[in-house]
Amino acid sequence: MGLIEVKDLKYTYPHSEKPVLTDISLTVQPGEFILLTGPSGCGKTTFCRCLNGLVPKFYSGVMEGTVKISGLDTRENPIMRLAQHVGLIFQNPDNQIFALTVEKDIAFGLENLGVSKDEMYKEIEWAVETTGLRHLRQRATHELSGGQKQRLTIASVLAMRPQIIVMDEPTAFLDPIGAEHIFSVLDRLNKVFGITIILIEHRMDLAAKYVDRMIVFSEGKIVNDGEPVKVFADDQTRLLGVGIPRVFELARRLSSRGVHFNRFPVSAHEFYNEFKTRLPEDIRRGDGRFEDLSEFTGEYHHNPAIEVKDVYFTYPGNVEALNDVSLTIYHGDYVAIMGENGAGKTTLVKHFNGLLKPSSGRVVFHSVDVSTLSVAQLARNIGLVFQNPDDQLFEETVEKEISFALRNFGFDESVIEKRVTWALNLLDLTEYRHKSPFTLSGGERKRVALASVLAWDPDILVLDEPTIGQDYGQKERLRHFLTHLRSQGKTIVIVTHDVEFVAESQPRIVLMAGGHIVDDGVSKKIMTRPDTLLSCSVSQPEITRLFDKLSDHGLPKDVLDVDEAFDILMRNVGGASP
Amino acid sequence: MSLLESLRFTRGDTFIHNMDPRVKFLLTLVSFAASVMFLELVPLIVIFLIQLPLIVAAKVVREWYKSVKGASVIAVIIFASNMLSFYYFRDRQLTWALVEYSLALTVRFIALITSFSVFFLTTSPDKLSLALEKVKVPYEFNFAFITAIRFVPVLADEAQTIMDAQRSRGLELDKGNFITRVRNYIPILLPLIINSIRRSLELAEAMESRAFGATENRTNIYELRMRGSDYAMLFIVLLCFGVMVYVKLYLPTFSGLLGEGSII
Repeated sequence: MGLIEVKDLKYTYPHSEKPVLTDISLTVQPGEFILLTGPSGCGKTTFCRCLNGLVPKFYSGVMEGTVKISGLDTRENPIMRLAQHVGLIFQNPDNQIFALTVEKDIAFGLENLGVSKDEMYKEIEWAVETTGLRHLRQRATHELSGGQKQRLTIASVLAMRPQIIVMDEPTAFLDPIGAEHIFSVLDRLNKVFGITIILIEHRMDLAAKYVDRMIVFSEGKIVNDGEPVKVFADDQTRLLGVGIPRVFELARRLSSRGVHFNRFPVSAHEFYNEFKTRLPEDIRRGDGRFEDLSEFTGEYHHNPAIEVKDVYFTYPGNVEALNDVSLTIYHGDYVAIMGENGAGKTTLVKHFNGLLKPSSGRVVFHSVDVSTLSVAQLARNIGLVFQNPDDQLFEETVEKEISFALRNFGFDESVIEKRVTWALNLLDLTEYRHKSPFTLSGGERKRVALASVLAWDPDILVLDEPTIGQDYGQKERLRHFLTHLRSQGKTIVIVTHDVEFVAESQPRIVLMAGGHIVDDGVSKKIMTRPDTLLSCSVSQPEITRLFDKLSDHGLPKDVLDVDEAFDILMRNVGGASP
Repeated sequence: MSLLESLRFTRGDTFIHNMDPRVKFLLTLVSFAASVMFLELVPLIVIFLIQLPLIVAAKVVREWYKSVKGASVIAVIIFASNMLSFYYFRDRQLTWALVEYSLALTVRFIALITSFSVFFLTTSPDKLSLALEKVKVPYEFNFAFITAIRFVPVLADEAQTIMDAQRSRGLELDKGNFITRVRNYIPILLPLIINSIRRSLELAEAMESRAFGATENRTNIYELRMRGSDYAMLFIVLLCFGVMVYVKLYLPTFSGLLGEGSII
């Protein structure tokens, strides 16, 4: 008997006709590390809710079939009983932290269970040790960083000693190093303590190397289930638009051209180990036929659009957020601002349209000091799209939502009509024109928010974390869309943690840490400096990691995406393979 | 706002911070009673001065100063309005007694602010909740209290973000007449309310997942226990109260504007 037994599960939410889950049957053995993935809205989050009885107990609705956790039927046992077997962790850590201090929050579940004080201290001791929170034990919860908060949510369910931990996109808001930290905590729980882990994740390049089983959901059904390598190789997975680790994709393409792999790799490390024996002799010795390309640093010589000059900014309460920042963004630039959580990225972009005024220093837009203009005046030219669409949507229909800003800017009704139609078209939202934005899915809401800014056609577009919560297909569409805008001469600034997204669109990168700019340059330059990246809590893309190793053999370092990698390897290695 | 802001708990490890919240609350009540009991300048100044060492001991001088500064406008109003009203409605002459009386009321106000500052600046909400638990307030209320405090900074952040997002879409909050201005806040309030509803659902889910309400016999990781120093403090507080009552009842009062012996 498995730890989790799901049989013929079918579930329909109340007030809904279409089931979100159908024909789900699976067995999970103790100690498995499972990655759950699938396009947005495929039912994976609902499936997790079934595991501790939130479905159907909390949500009601119609459930058929059975779910058993260690033999306990979820329908017959209360959630609080199941909660001791399954620790469920949701996406947003802020909404799962109840107490004012770390220690007290970890204790919350134990207190609810009526565990004695001594016992509690023992469990907390273990939980803070395993999640690396020992030094933060007495810290106020609202002072924690995003990554620390997420580790706290793990510690808090861990203290209840569950056999299973289920996490729904735990790293969505985290910087790459913070995300890796979470994965390594989970890995340790799995390998050392034998805890079964079920993880929902879209960022395959980060997650794939940790797991030993992958389950792919699509439209409420399981379409693939097995070893990651097999699942990634399956055409079904590919067609669904589930992300595939870049190194895996590279290996697959090479193999179709006759380069043999015993086993397809899911990480740069695996790829390298598999591949190095296949390198031709002269390359393996590292004769260095390639020059160091660090000189390849395209400089910018166009007209400045936004100039940030020696800016300092301090939030009330003496929180220093920007510390001597100088940056020039040119017309037609495509810039990605990257760096650790809390580095001041969002604070910086809020200076662009005057939402924040520098404590000292100047921000200049088209040779006019920003402080002399109102936010509304600046916003007309600089469109800022915030991370969470729910922080701005409020109208009854998508159409009204998009025309909101146009009315604020005083456009004519006839122009508004035209612009709205144009923006709806551009973002593929026409069918939702008269729908309420609140009935749309997360990805669609994000597009509405984007459309509501694009509608007034600002010259400069600033997007804060556009890829968060987006599945692979949605990210691809966004990338194409940005390319399209750039071809129209728009200046685009994105704030992002998504290393792979950056690797594929190769913008100019501005790296930030601790309120100042650490490095600034073309992607190829920045991404080949692992130490600088690390100091900003950013990791290299997997492909670049691979070429970092291959560069010992004389191959170039500055390779970022699959196409380029494939090209270089085929030209230098492919022919030599048997 | 700065008045309320400066009453926020500041972490610390002083003997005032570590004092049992029940004793500390009693201390605050006694200071309160004392300030209300006297109307004469000298005892009120004494009450005020007695509290200063507590503030220094708790290392919250700066926060306390901020709260007094925030209250100074009100203090000035108290002083001025008393001066003016008594001047006009009584003797119509400027006497020392009049100044003394108005000054006494102002000092009383400052003393009250001070006593509450000491309590709120040095008592963590967690301890407060423990004290509530000890006096048998049901856990659900207690939990709601703590959760409310926990989400103040989260909601404040969110409100700020929403405001920024809408201003970035050309919303001008302080434009137009009164009605328009009120309407301007709709795009800010609606997302805030909808997000809060969504959040409460997520919170409920997370509570369920952490076995909320699993047993009647809920335990608590922290427990309030009166220590020797707490008993000592309790004794001192009660002693002070005794002395105060004695002074009030048996010592000749100082000259007051409203006649001898009156309390208010």
